[in-house]
Amino acid sequence: MTSTSASSLSPAAAPARSRAGRLAGPAVFVGVLAVALGVLPAVLEPFRLNLVAQYLCFAIVGLGIAVAWGRGGMLVLGQGVFFGLGGYAMGMYLTLERVSSDPLSGGVPDFMSWSGISELPLLWRPFAHPAVAIATAVLLPGLVAALLGWAVFRQRVRGAYFAILNQALAAAFVILLINQQHLTGGTNGLTRFPTLFGASLYSADTKRWVYVAVVLVAALVYLAFRQVVRSRYGALLVAVRDGEDRVRFLGYDPTWVKTLAYTLSAMAAGVGGALFVVVMGIIAPSSLGIVPSLMMVLAVAIGGRFSLAGAALGAVLMNAAETAFSESFAGGWTYLQGALFVLVIVFAPRGLAGIAESAAGWWRSRRQPQGSSQ
Amino acid sequence: MTPVAEPLLRLSGIRVVFGSFTAVDGVDLSVAENELRFLIGPNGAGKTTLIDVVTGRVRPSGGRVLFGGRDITGLREHAIVRAGIGRTFQTATVFEQLTVADNVDLAACYRMGPLRLLRRRRGLSDTVAAVLERVGLLALADRPAGVLSHGQRQWLEIGMLLAQSPRLLLLDEPVAGMSAGERERTGELLVEIAADHTVVVVEHDMDFLRRYARDVTVLHEGRVLTEGTVAQVQADERVQEVYLGRNVDVAAPLAVGAEGE
Repeated sequence: MTSTSASSLSPAAAPARSRAGRLAGPAVFVGVLAVALGVLPAVLEPFRLNLVAQYLCFAIVGLGIAVAWGRGGMLVLGQGVFFGLGGYAMGMYLTLERVSSDPLSGGVPDFMSWSGISELPLLWRPFAHPAVAIATAVLLPGLVAALLGWAVFRQRVRGAYFAILNQALAAAFVILLINQQHLTGGTNGLTRFPTLFGASLYSADTKRWVYVAVVLVAALVYLAFRQVVRSRYGALLVAVRDGEDRVRFLGYDPTWVKTLAYTLSAMAAGVGGALFVVVMGIIAPSSLGIVPSLMMVLAVAIGGRFSLAGAALGAVLMNAAETAFSESFAGGWTYLQGALFVLVIVFAPRGLAGIAESAAGWWRSRRQPQGSSQ
Repeated sequence: MTPVAEPLLRLSGIRVVFGSFTAVDGVDLSVAENELRFLIGPNGAGKTTLIDVVTGRVRPSGGRVLFGGRDITGLREHAIVRAGIGRTFQTATVFEQLTVADNVDLAACYRMGPLRLLRRRRGLSDTVAAVLERVGLLALADRPAGVLSHGQRQWLEIGMLLAQSPRLLLLDEPVAGMSAGERERTGELLVEIAADHTVVVVEHDMDFLRRYARDVTVLHEGRVLTEGTVAQVQADERVQEVYLGRNVDVAAPLAVGAEGE
């Protein structure tokens, strides 16, 4: 997932390309997948491999943001909500798996016993089944986004208002989670998951399998969204982004066009959240509020929101940089991140993918004088 | 205006009020099937506002729009397109980031459901190719629409309309800002289209009007001043006065202001 495949996803991508140009994208994709599955597990220690899995969870969220924001022009500043819905759904299953194997628990998670609850609440019961938990992690964020999107886009709410609405949603979600401590574990969130489907999550072997699963899911989401952005619907989404009112006069209702993209991005965030819980062993309000939601969008802006590969790469790079910096000098990262964001907005609004595209375009026009004008 | 059976489009008593300004003040207008109707009038006459009313962009404060006998007043924009009315805009608005072919293709696929839209476009459909050929943009099919010249954009917009095969086409100042050559080309296109479509053209350009118009409706200060053939309208003293800018009252109180554009 590097510059070459990024250029093929640009909305203004030049058509009539050579056979080699058309094959470059898939070749890079297969190459990246081969390295991720074949090389990294062999050379990285389990701790590092787990970190890569964590970055990829955010890459999945980033892919969704690239669809909703990059293609659809919807500034989704509250993806933490959907990330959290997915994360908590999976976290509830993992918690119940621990509880059911612990004879001293009394059948309820410890934070519930602290609140004097001795019987598992109705809300929790379905999550004892992994299938229910996984389905909820994917579908519930989608459902919430679909209902919210339909209501909001129908009223032609857009731009800054939509962004602020999403931020408010993230803030409200965090408050809800903290206040319902007896149901959600409050500020601490859900954590301590010794097993997944019966396998110890502390063993290097299980961690490796989790990593492989995350890589495969990320690849699938990438391929699915690639189909979406390259379909007629993808063109329609760009049209809505650039001229919503004009699209109405083509006979389309922009409401469903935007709602679908928003829903897909929420589902991606839910999937990312569900995997994140398994990888990190914790989901808590502190990783879904306003600031984390902003960071998810920031990473996509830096990677390049018009390109799926750029968005995913941005999420991986930013999270990797965060790890690297907090290991050497904590605190400095926040400033650097802010500076990076300003630089990108001012000098490279299309992000790293845009820089790569311009470089590739320059290289092509140097080789054949009749290059694209963009 | 020849009242043959039920006209395709019938406006009755359309009123549009923006704040204290009355942009359209009780317009009755009928357009028959296969007619080529020009709508002219000085700035602020209410021409574009009238088109906006028909296409659902502006809700009238009074009056009804009947299309093919069906009341379409107050329908949402996309529903009106689906009923069979298409329009272009004064400043041609095309999707610059999409290719010329994608622009026309999207227009052509407006009846597809979401699931079919999620498939990729493979090459050019016959409709899209035919339309691109007709408006002379086939050679530019794969270029982003952003590189088109002003005139080409108008043609692309007309092409997008044709791809939808609407029963009624509303063209808002199609030759505004065009070079002489481009006007000529647009005129030919217009004649071709009018051969098998019902077309309403809003136009300022009197030369263009003289060359291509058949029936003309003159609007002035939100009302219909007169209707007739080009010769009849040109001979009309009131029209000359309006166009020469003399403020001779035409049985209407003077309201001065800009058109809703």
